[in-house]
Amino acid sequence: MKKILLILLFFLISSCSNNFEIVDDLSKTNYELVDQNNNSVLFPQVAKGKINVIGYIFTNCPDICPLTTNNMRLIQEKLKKEKIDGVQFISISFDPLQDKPETLRKFAEVRNLDLSNWIFLTGDKSVIDSLMKRVNILAVKSDSTTFKDGRKIYYYVHTDRIQLMDKENKILKNYKGSSVNVDEIINDIKKLN
Amino acid sequence: MKKIFLLLILTSFTIAQTKIEIKDPWLRPNAKGANSALFFIAENKTDKADTLIAAKFENSEVVELHETYKKSEDMMGMRAVKFVVIPPKSNVVFKPRDLHIMLIGLKKDIKIGENYNLSLIFKKAGEIKINAAVRDMPKMK
Repeated sequence: MKKILLILLFFLISSCSNNFEIVDDLSKTNYELVDQNNNSVLFPQVAKGKINVIGYIFTNCPDICPLTTNNMRLIQEKLKKEKIDGVQFISISFDPLQDKPETLRKFAEVRNLDLSNWIFLTGDKSVIDSLMKRVNILAVKSDSTTFKDGRKIYYYVHTDRIQLMDKENKILKNYKGSSVNVDEIINDIKKLN
Repeated sequence: MKKIFLLLILTSFTIAQTKIEIKDPWLRPNAKGANSALFFIAENKTDKADTLIAAKFENSEVVELHETYKKSEDMMGMRAVKFVVIPPKSNVVFKPRDLHIMLIGLKKDIKIGENYNLSLIFKKAGEIKINAAVRDMPKMK
């Protein structure tokens, strides 16, 4: 009986990581993406060995994605102030046809974002779609605007999310990206550090 | 003289009736070709409702009135609205995750620290010119 209890306890402990229930384990996955400087990046390998705050955005978004990005900036600034390092920020676009590396670079540039520990990722549509499916991010085209010259841009109804990923590429927690409690995520990061 | 006096009274009455004050206007940074959003507080000091029907910004290809909405628990979307009523003696707040003026197809980079002139068009108050600062949004609670 004692043995069974010990085995159960072992499985319980090993299924959790620092009191987090694992949302998803991405350690066996591999997505070839490209960063804001047009460098090839393997995700989630690029996140290995670091605690990661991951946001999902499209740059034509006027409201939710800028809020998500700003919340990530607030988290980054607070961590810096508290001298907590080893944390990486990753923004992944779910609109790769519009969001080329240059678009992502400009998106960060006009916001004066500190890219010393922050990367923006995009990629081929099929790869991005597959990644979004895996991390459970939905983005459905909704309204659009057609310009005088015939160009058309789309807006998305999309999942409003920031994820916390550990050093072993396990997603530990989901937060609402545009309204995340910055202190909650900082405290969660401290548990992992 | 009497006529002029009456005209003055009538004019001041009309101005008082159409007074909309725009407070704390600000817009989001974004790169040329992308979109931005304008936020502000519209205060209607009169006892008659007014309606915001349009806006103008020379640095974007299109300007529309929009609102962000919650599609489901964690799905958010955005849609155009035709007008926004500002009830009498009250404020309507255009804020993140809510009403905003969508500035679509920026003609230049809009950077933090800059200021831009825009206009809001009301049914009764007419065109109101504003100067909005480009800044990061406040932290949401």
